[in-house]
Amino acid sequence: MQNQVTKLIWRRHRRTFVLAGLLSMLVAVANDLITLHGLNQTQGHYELVKASINHWEVYNTSNFPAYSFWLLIVAWLLGLVLMNQDLTDNFNQFLFSSGFSRQRVYWTKLWQGLLAMLVIVSLTLAVQYGIFWVSLPARIGFHLAWPGLITSWGYGLAGSLGMFAMCWFAALIVGQTGALVVTLIGFTLSLSGVAAIFEQLDSNGGLGWNLSGAQVAWLSAGSWVMAALILFIWGAYLYQHLSLEHNGEYLLFPGLRVPVYIVFVVYVTGINGFNGTDTYSTIISFLVSAAFGYFWLWRPGIMAKWHRWRSQREG
Amino acid sequence: MTLQVKQLSKQINKHQIISDVTFNWAPGEIIGLVGRNGVGKTTLFRTMVNHYVADAGQVLVDDHPIQQAPTRQREIFFLDTQYNFLSNYSLKELPDFYSLVYPKFDRQRYGELLRHFDLNAGDQYRRLSKGMRAMVNIILALTSNATYLILDEPFDGLDVIVRENIATMVIDEVADQRKGFLISSHDLNELDGLSDRVLLLKDSQLAHDYNLEAIRETAKKIQLVLPDKTIPAVLKEHSHLIRVSGRVLVVVITDYTDAIDQQLRALHPVLLEELPLTLEDLFRANLAHDTGYQLLK
Repeated sequence: MQNQVTKLIWRRHRRTFVLAGLLSMLVAVANDLITLHGLNQTQGHYELVKASINHWEVYNTSNFPAYSFWLLIVAWLLGLVLMNQDLTDNFNQFLFSSGFSRQRVYWTKLWQGLLAMLVIVSLTLAVQYGIFWVSLPARIGFHLAWPGLITSWGYGLAGSLGMFAMCWFAALIVGQTGALVVTLIGFTLSLSGVAAIFEQLDSNGGLGWNLSGAQVAWLSAGSWVMAALILFIWGAYLYQHLSLEHNGEYLLFPGLRVPVYIVFVVYVTGINGFNGTDTYSTIISFLVSAAFGYFWLWRPGIMAKWHRWRSQREG
Repeated sequence: MTLQVKQLSKQINKHQIISDVTFNWAPGEIIGLVGRNGVGKTTLFRTMVNHYVADAGQVLVDDHPIQQAPTRQREIFFLDTQYNFLSNYSLKELPDFYSLVYPKFDRQRYGELLRHFDLNAGDQYRRLSKGMRAMVNIILALTSNATYLILDEPFDGLDVIVRENIATMVIDEVADQRKGFLISSHDLNELDGLSDRVLLLKDSQLAHDYNLEAIRETAKKIQLVLPDKTIPAVLKEHSHLIRVSGRVLVVVITDYTDAIDQQLRALHPVLLEELPLTLEDLFRANLAHDTGYQLLK
């Protein structure tokens, strides 16, 4: 039974996995070639990797990011596509009547997606590091160290897991691809605001933790892993109750509309409140988010009323 | 072996689409599901196969609820003609998916049927004509070798040749009593000669469950040419008028007895002959007053 569902999910998504892998490696090659071109313009001896790679901290320089930012985007895309594609291509209909329990389908799809992400990350890193390894001229040093690599990979993988989970969960509850992408881009960008709040609190001693750079990185990684676990488990519950009559609507679970609205308004107002300079801007952000959120989530009803009103006026 | 639909209900956007639908279905039966457009036929199918989560009720295969024993769902085949994943694949790729879900999927027969109906295995499903898609859908249904096959408006918009092909395949398939079909239609003529039992869906409920053989045993469709234009009392009392054209009457008498026969002959009609009784006649005679069948047309 498990073997069959594994084969089914693999057959369905193997093209996506291969495409994402190829694209990721292509970007790694392109980045390396650009870096190599830049390095060839330099004179004398040069160390590509700085000494800080020996510390238990995330290593990230423009010439050599130990865990490329691109890999977070790959995870972001993979999570989104895996869940959204089955909805938009009506493959969910086939899965739900396939005789495999929904839980089995959900967790199989998830572990295949995560495994694919891990393979893509490994291959991309291998390509990225391999190109430097074989192409760098003798005058440019390329010396790696485990502390920096392990920290960077762990932190990067946790971030990728978080990105994957965030998009996976969003694609499970949002039924319109365009709106889903807009929502996810908006939310992903807003995360910098959340990070800014945390940094502000930490630097002011508001948290009372006095964390080092490495500790902040591991705390951040742990938060991502925890968030991912919560989203995966919550997603499993929702997947069990997913009813396809809401396909094409913004929210596939109408019962989530009010909670999503409240969270959206509180989240946007909170970010602006912490990062803003005065009360006035907080009030404005509250009013704008409340109005925009209401329109966004209830717009089919609002638009229907609008069209009725307009046709009555014209008629 | 039997499939039971028990008190199945589904609400969409606060509208009750199907309510308390209950029926049994055994292999060997070809059941017609009729009702007006939008009455909930497709919703019933989608709820039966778990595309929609039912608000109440359950579907049981051999007394096992499919919600608790999902593998039993493999005994049911339903291909949603509106929302399916086939468009992205070529015909030769489809068995790769179906054989993983239906353990008895017959790849060899699938290939043979494609060739028989001049369908190219390399063609993309989305590039096929409506009739070709309908043929592929029915081929997938038959070769799945599931016990209970649900076909949603399989004849809709198809030419007579394709319709006949599909009808013939359906009839051949139930001959050994191992498979059953549930076929929806809003046009009764399509089901004529195919279904032996008809379910009528009306106002979100199963209004009637008719065994056509039992009805046909007692009902007759008669064409009469009378000496004058007056409609005799026996017809007013016992028949349903299908057509009146001057002195020519076509009537359906649902409970035809010797006494009625004698009364009709006593009228000394110029012509009294029996006509083939169609499903549409039966529904006109039985249901026109209380089921809104006239609205089907």
